[in-house]
Amino acid sequence: MWRAVKRLFHQASIGDQSYRFLFKPGPDDEVVVLDTETTGLDVKTDDIITIAAIKIRGDRILTSERFEAVARPDARMSAEAIKVHRLRHADVEGGELIFRILPDFLRFVGGRPLVGYYIDFDVAMLDKYIVQLIGIELPNRLIEVSALYHERKYGDAPPGTQIDLRFAAIMDDLGLPRLEEHDAFNDALMTGMMYLALRDLKRRNVRISRQRQAPVIDALGA
Amino acid sequence: MPKSFDATNPPFDRLETQEIEALRDTLDVAYFPPGEVVIAQEAAAEHLFVIIKGTVEERDGDELVALLGPKDSFDSRALVHGRSGHAFVTREETLVYLVPRDAVLRLIQTNPRFASFFYLEISRKLDALAHDEDEQRVGSLMRARVSDVRLQPASFIDAADTIETAGHRMREIGSNALLVRNGERTGIITGMNLSKAVVLRRLPLETPVGELAHYDVVTLAPDDFVFSALLLMTRHSKRRIVVRDGDAYVGILEDIDLLGFIGGSTQLVAGRIDRAQTQQDLADAAGDIEGQVRLLRRQGAKIEALCELVSDLNRRLLERLHGMVCPPALRDHACLIVMGSEGRGEQTLRTDQDNGLILDGPVDPTALDAYRRDFNGALERFGFPPCPGGVMVSNPLWSKPLDDYLADFRRWIALPDETAHMNVAIFYDAVAVAGDPALLERAKASLIELVRGERAYLAHFAKAIDAFAPPIGLFNNLITSEGKGDALDLKKGGIFPILHGVRALALEKGFLETGTAERLQRLAEERVLKPDFAREVTQAFRFLSGLRLDAQLAESGGRSGSLVRPATLSSMERDLLRDAFLIAKQFRDIVRRHFNLAMF
Repeated sequence: MWRAVKRLFHQASIGDQSYRFLFKPGPDDEVVVLDTETTGLDVKTDDIITIAAIKIRGDRILTSERFEAVARPDARMSAEAIKVHRLRHADVEGGELIFRILPDFLRFVGGRPLVGYYIDFDVAMLDKYIVQLIGIELPNRLIEVSALYHERKYGDAPPGTQIDLRFAAIMDDLGLPRLEEHDAFNDALMTGMMYLALRDLKRRNVRISRQRQAPVIDALGA
Repeated sequence: MPKSFDATNPPFDRLETQEIEALRDTLDVAYFPPGEVVIAQEAAAEHLFVIIKGTVEERDGDELVALLGPKDSFDSRALVHGRSGHAFVTREETLVYLVPRDAVLRLIQTNPRFASFFYLEISRKLDALAHDEDEQRVGSLMRARVSDVRLQPASFIDAADTIETAGHRMREIGSNALLVRNGERTGIITGMNLSKAVVLRRLPLETPVGELAHYDVVTLAPDDFVFSALLLMTRHSKRRIVVRDGDAYVGILEDIDLLGFIGGSTQLVAGRIDRAQTQQDLADAAGDIEGQVRLLRRQGAKIEALCELVSDLNRRLLERLHGMVCPPALRDHACLIVMGSEGRGEQTLRTDQDNGLILDGPVDPTALDAYRRDFNGALERFGFPPCPGGVMVSNPLWSKPLDDYLADFRRWIALPDETAHMNVAIFYDAVAVAGDPALLERAKASLIELVRGERAYLAHFAKAIDAFAPPIGLFNNLITSEGKGDALDLKKGGIFPILHGVRALALEKGFLETGTAERLQRLAEERVLKPDFAREVTQAFRFLSGLRLDAQLAESGGRSGSLVRPATLSSMERDLLRDAFLIAKQFRDIVRRHFNLAMF
């Protein structure tokens, strides 16, 4: 609701008219799955280091049509963050300034809904710059995979049920292959897999059992 | 780009680094819900699908042909020829990489090794694998250390000691070489040096060995590579290398042991069997057979060569044992035969005994009883398990006059039941090991004559190929119950249908060959089977037998080695396993049509 109001407000207040396409709905069956790696977890003081976005069309994750960029952060990366994403100062020095990256990113995303895990954080990070660039925040509809998961698994749970929405827990529960984490592209790809699996479960009206030991995709472990 | 795409998996392992990078760039990932048709039968495909997670059924109409799992790719036919032979349907939620058709075709054009994977027919694929395995096995040999080889003891003698003392010492320690301590120097002296000194130079036995020893000793450390030992021996024309660990003398490496380590020493085992004086000698030799098989297999020996070797050794062993325990009253009136896999020459490790005795007429019952008891008793002590079905000399049903056998044949063929069919089957595979082979020849000729033209009987006989559930079904079971320790029965799934189908066809033709490969060869010559197909069946049979042997070696000592766990196979091997089963299935269908088994 709040986003819809903001959206109306932004549509009126967009600074750069050439970005009006952001308000045009994208192709029907397409979304963009998004992940960023940042210097830390504080939206106010930390910066984006890498952005990865992959289009999903129907049941396909179009890894061949992806957006990947390394930004040169203003903020110093915290040692903690370096441990997480394993990009050192030296690795990002060759990166572009974020303001040079964003126009391409916005054109890649267009009006498509954005899918992510804890997507609010990624979008808040992006908005910090986008507002400065074009005067508005990202107007796109946001789809939170952990919410989809919560609905499939805990939607009918009695109060007091222990809830586990960790990224790894969702991957394991859905039986999805764990790629090397904390690489924006891999994280986005895994998030895309989660999204497709969860959307399919909902379509087929299959709930995720809370007792289940075996994963949904039960296959020969490779 | 999906860095996670595994390019170590065939056929992508044949690509150059930049080809892989370019390929990765073109990949998409697709998700399929359960029960979705990925490629319809006879349809073209715009992508090569490589499974990330999940299971896909390969179907021919209603029939399940194979189950594909992670890292498996499909379907090269739909991609290259524009028409898939089979349909591909997801069994469960499945994630796949999509490799665009254009990218694959481009690689096929530019990379011959990649292309060959796509065009290779099964038998050539099998050879490719065998080659890879060879390289691995040779590789492991190249990495072997001197300490892995059996060494002769490092026993010292003083330079002042006499030739006589040295000779006695050599006999005591069972070695043909001694180290000689001569002041600061260390030399070596061999039995050959001693003999030459005494016989050729007529030196007295009291001569000190110090002056006979060789002091240009070549040494290596225990953790040196075996191949350096080989090189040193060749370079210095030395038959022995002294192994030293720092100041300590560890042993003497003899060329004979080195060759035994590298090439196996089956002729030594054969020699021990031939020279055996007592049953204990034979038991010792029998114990060496398995070790030889293991060694040779590790060094890349082909399964058919191994089978030949083991059969040869086992038959020698039985022949020798027969010579030891056969009472004179029986000697010229009996023929010892081995049947079943022993007769076909397809046993690898010790299988159950399947032996019998054909007599040329009534013999002294006491002598016969003694033979029955002694022969099978000895085999059991040698570690050959008794036959659960009682097909052994010790059973009077399998040690009797030829005429009684002929009466049996008539009964087995007139009133066939499962046991009768099995008896005909194993007897048809029989070969003579000792005694008068003419007895077996006459028996077999009668058997073949009895079934000649008996279409209904032969069809009943062939029917056993349907005895076990389809192999592809087993494979299915295996994939779906992964992790529960379930494994695939190679014998029931593929080996048995092939060997029995071949046996039935050969029996109909009255061939006298006993080996499955030889029978297939004859079937191709007589145009019962197309030569290409006969070759593929032979390859599939050998591949399955090889896997079975590896499984047997892996669980050496355990009873059943027919099980293989696909999770432990490489994806290439799994691919081949599937193909081999597919061929077994095709072959079964041919046999079924040939004998019109659908009637039953």
